[in-house]
Amino acid sequence: MKQHTHKRLYDTHSWVGIISGILLFIVTFSGIPALFEHEVGYWQYPAFGEIPTDRSFDLEHTIATANDIGFQYDKLTIQLPDDINNHIMLSHFSDESEFYTLYLKTGSYEEVKSSPSALGQILTHLHTDLYLPRPFGRYLVGLAGMAMLLAIIAGIFIHVKWRKEFVMLRPKRSWRLLLTDQHKLLGLWSLPFTLILAFTGTILGLLGIISPILALAAFDGDVQKATDTILGPSAEITGEPAPIYSLNELWVKARSDLSDKEIKLIEIEGAGDKGGLIKFSAHHQKHLSNIETVTYSTATGETIHEGSFIGKGPFHRIFAAVTPLHYVLFGSVWLKICYALAALGACGLIVTGNMLWLERRGHGMEHLLSKLTLGICGGLVVATCALFPVSQLLYVFKLGEEHHHFEEWILWSTWGITLFMPFLWKNGFQLSHWMLRISAALLLSTLLVDGLVNGRWLWLTSGWNFYIQAGLIFFAMLLVYLDIKMPDEKKEKFATRAAAIQVEVAD
Amino acid sequence: MFVNIIRSTGSRNIAAIVGSFLATVALTISITLLWPFGNLAEQVLAGGTFFFIFWASVFYWAILAQDGLKAWIRILILLVPALTIDIISLAT
Repeated sequence: MKQHTHKRLYDTHSWVGIISGILLFIVTFSGIPALFEHEVGYWQYPAFGEIPTDRSFDLEHTIATANDIGFQYDKLTIQLPDDINNHIMLSHFSDESEFYTLYLKTGSYEEVKSSPSALGQILTHLHTDLYLPRPFGRYLVGLAGMAMLLAIIAGIFIHVKWRKEFVMLRPKRSWRLLLTDQHKLLGLWSLPFTLILAFTGTILGLLGIISPILALAAFDGDVQKATDTILGPSAEITGEPAPIYSLNELWVKARSDLSDKEIKLIEIEGAGDKGGLIKFSAHHQKHLSNIETVTYSTATGETIHEGSFIGKGPFHRIFAAVTPLHYVLFGSVWLKICYALAALGACGLIVTGNMLWLERRGHGMEHLLSKLTLGICGGLVVATCALFPVSQLLYVFKLGEEHHHFEEWILWSTWGITLFMPFLWKNGFQLSHWMLRISAALLLSTLLVDGLVNGRWLWLTSGWNFYIQAGLIFFAMLLVYLDIKMPDEKKEKFATRAAAIQVEVAD
Repeated sequence: MFVNIIRSTGSRNIAAIVGSFLATVALTISITLLWPFGNLAEQVLAGGTFFFIFWASVFYWAILAQDGLKAWIRILILLVPALTIDIISLAT
């Protein structure tokens, strides 16, 4: 590669990283709990942990029970119980973007009070929408993904000595070299995962922007028509009443039509109307696809649309694989752990990248980027770690609906306070140490609070509760390790002339 | 003066960020219209996939140009034919 091309790629890699780095850190770090949203959701509310013995499912009984309870909507979604979620979850999105849910016990169809905690959802919302109004937050996340993709592409081309860089870490040399080595190591080892996460994340984030472009080309700009053609039609409410076809029969039919697939979701719209539809969505068990659907008329029971992304061409396969690849809807929990570790690696990659950029320009802690990186990135880690014990502690106060508002308040206030700390505390190294220690202590205190409030002591838990607790311990230990390994001050290139000569001789 | 602005690094960066996006949109519409394999849905999804590949490729093609003028020329080399195809195809 020509030297000027290499330099241009290097500059682009640096600037794309610097401009988007902090935003990318927020998206990537919040993506780790988002990856385990269902598992965290199961842990956050002890009532969800009751495992029913009877796991049979009766669609008509489910809807009748929901109606008796007063959960009556024209459009509703039913999420079936699985390995993590033990209960049947019914939900409705209102036109005003309000979200209503109802949980029913599998088998007995008794109502289970919804979780007052929204820990998993809060962090997922931060990951997918940055808590900004839709769709702008989603677009910003998509653009951050695109920036990550561009930085990765340039990174691949500029690191030509990758075989050597795969294993190179020189902790006894200068601070700058240590940062360089860490940046390259983290980048190389997490590359397959970060590449997949960046590409699929960009597609998911920017789908709203490219849909009108694609619809313009093939459907005269009609986005709804394009969506209906690919994913199946929406109900057209005629206002003309019609008897509802046996939903249990349709459930049996769907299981036959979607054999080899695991039905996860049922969407019902306009049941009782001539134009009413019921759509069953499934995950393919042999291929990467979570959008295998079959749609029936609720009035006549006839099949309206069968949507499979398998066997239709390579681009159907690519789009079908986007969500499963991004949220790891395949493989075992170990694969999810690999993704989470890669995301943690990417967080380290972003922070070391920012620090390297500052270091190469001779900036210290006084630089605004330095303060923002420590305040925003470190602050998010502290705030996330604070959210876990507080979420459990709030159960003591029986706050009901206010529970999740307090959680949000804790997240934002903790983040806000830590964001300003670098502007008040001049020694960035010292502050980083304290942030790591406080975060680790908060995570470990979660176990204590969980034990005291819910009786879920580590040695008494099993299943997902145990895995979540083990995950918290692992992350706390990682933070303690970083605290031990991180220097207390910036090491100059060589401590003494003798050391410099020693290194030169060794080289 | 104008030539200097066009040749500047800032101009090259704008070509890489804004120009590449515009060229990508035009190219995506072209490929969606012309994609010869599969049904209409496959054509649309092909366009959707190529959008990101085009964007990254055109961005780097522009940013690696010697100066701003060459970066814009590269953008126009892609944009003009793609726009022509789009206009003709959509009009007919």
